[in-house]
Amino acid sequence: MKDSKPCLYPPLASRLYSVWFRHMRVYTRHIFSNGLPPFLEPLLFLAGIGLGLGKYITQSMEGLTYIEFLGTGLLVTTAMFTASFECTFGTFIRLEFEKVYDGMLAAPLTANNLIIGEIIWAGTKGLFFSFAVLCILTVFGIVSLPRSLLAPCVGLLTGLMFSTLALLITSFVRTINHFNFYFTGIISPMFFFSGVVFPVSNLPGFIRPVAEILPLTHSVRLVRAVCTGLYPPRLLLDVLYIVAFIFIVGFFAVRRLKKRLVF
Amino acid sequence: MSPTVIKVENISKCFGKVRAVHELSFEVHAGSCFGFLGPNGAGKTTMLKMLYGKCTRDKNSDGLIDVFGYDPAREELAIKYLSGVVPQENNLDEELNVIGNLMVYSRFYALDRVSARSRIDYLLGFMDLSDKLTAKIKELSGGMQRRLVIARALMNNPQLLILDEPTTGLDPQVRHLIWDKLRQLKKQGTTILLTTHYMEEAFALCDMVLIMNKGQAVMRGSPSELLERKVEKYVLELTGSHSLESIADGSVLNAVRVDRTQETLRLYSDDADRLKRLAGQIQGAHYYLRQANLEDVFLKATGRQLNERQ
Repeated sequence: MKDSKPCLYPPLASRLYSVWFRHMRVYTRHIFSNGLPPFLEPLLFLAGIGLGLGKYITQSMEGLTYIEFLGTGLLVTTAMFTASFECTFGTFIRLEFEKVYDGMLAAPLTANNLIIGEIIWAGTKGLFFSFAVLCILTVFGIVSLPRSLLAPCVGLLTGLMFSTLALLITSFVRTINHFNFYFTGIISPMFFFSGVVFPVSNLPGFIRPVAEILPLTHSVRLVRAVCTGLYPPRLLLDVLYIVAFIFIVGFFAVRRLKKRLVF
Repeated sequence: MSPTVIKVENISKCFGKVRAVHELSFEVHAGSCFGFLGPNGAGKTTMLKMLYGKCTRDKNSDGLIDVFGYDPAREELAIKYLSGVVPQENNLDEELNVIGNLMVYSRFYALDRVSARSRIDYLLGFMDLSDKLTAKIKELSGGMQRRLVIARALMNNPQLLILDEPTTGLDPQVRHLIWDKLRQLKKQGTTILLTTHYMEEAFALCDMVLIMNKGQAVMRGSPSELLERKVEKYVLELTGSHSLESIADGSVLNAVRVDRTQETLRLYSDDADRLKRLAGQIQGAHYYLRQANLEDVFLKATGRQLNERQ
């Protein structure tokens, strides 16, 4: 009964690429409405907070002016937000309302391929959003090239990290409104307490260990190192944290979400 | 006899306490069309999904699924690569247009752009959709969307085509067009597996029919075999409220099977003359004498009462 010839279904890399390709196609179909806001948002942010509020903040933070401090932080928060939205609301809609995944799973893809492709796509969005912020920061002379060109790679890592976390959350969520808790309870606090708007060292001593647990803290540290060109040895711990986070949380996200796809 | 391409033995599947499929076995031969008939909730869709790994089968059963020599539990990719699937719901990507949907789908099979494009042109022509190349999905009628899903399933020139209720809710023109296309595919050697509620669809397409109810097989055979063996040749349908007591000679009823719903009385018999005589004896009734069809077989097999899953 078995076919004499081996079955030539596409190799893993090709399967992951095809999932990525689907998301890229959908995203770039509305290139103007999807591609412009990542550039406008940091512009607004820098104008509103950096220039307005920044005037009153004359103290340097970790050796940076306030606009440099905030601007470099935005390189990773933008990646955090886009990956989080993509893999919560985006994934949930594809899963429950549009049934896009059902169509894809009829093709030679496994549920694992699909979810990992999703993570890679969210990482790519993190890279692109980070790049958009970098363009704005460069135009305003807030960061200097070429060393800051590595910043989008930190955006990629941040996107990967937050997509795995978002997918893990999504695997528990039964109605789309529950994501509000995730954004209000986890993502927003992270924006304020991970050293983006003020240094973690200014936090009260007993909260500081909490900040170290938050994934964004490590992204922020890494991206500032990239932008300033100063790499303290303890940065290795941040890199280690990020890589470990992606693989460990990613493992559980894939395992749990798979049960929503194949049952 | 052509070789067996799908072999299923003793397969069960429970969702919590619901037994969706219970110890089902069947075989499908290459190049044939195999149909699952059954009421909603009979387990037809679950069975199809287990074939290509969208559903997992219960592990405790000593069951076996073999599709082209591959087990979906371990080699779903090979099965999916050789098969095309038309799911019950049209799950087209509404964010992409017609060509976009098909181009994205061609990537899943790692087709290069040029061969994908020529394949797509062929498939859209085959399904009578050539002028819809750049249409948005929402602009397509239900029948067009259905044809597009079928075209998508044919992307990799599958040896096996799995269709879950391919024509439910479609108008007669589209239904007949789809039937014609499926017959053409069968002629080209494609094995077809489908589920349907429509008896005429099973009759029009299937070489073999398996009637399912509550997860189990209740009847199987070719459509004509089922008609011949499993149900009486003729049916007398009486509408309105009648009582059988009005029939003077009660003994004629001995040889007929009576099936009663609130508004309709169906009398089944192999003897048309007997039914004609009966019709004459019933006062003031609207009656209709016809040959039994697969629907009668179906109702006999699955019972007339709605069950809790329908």
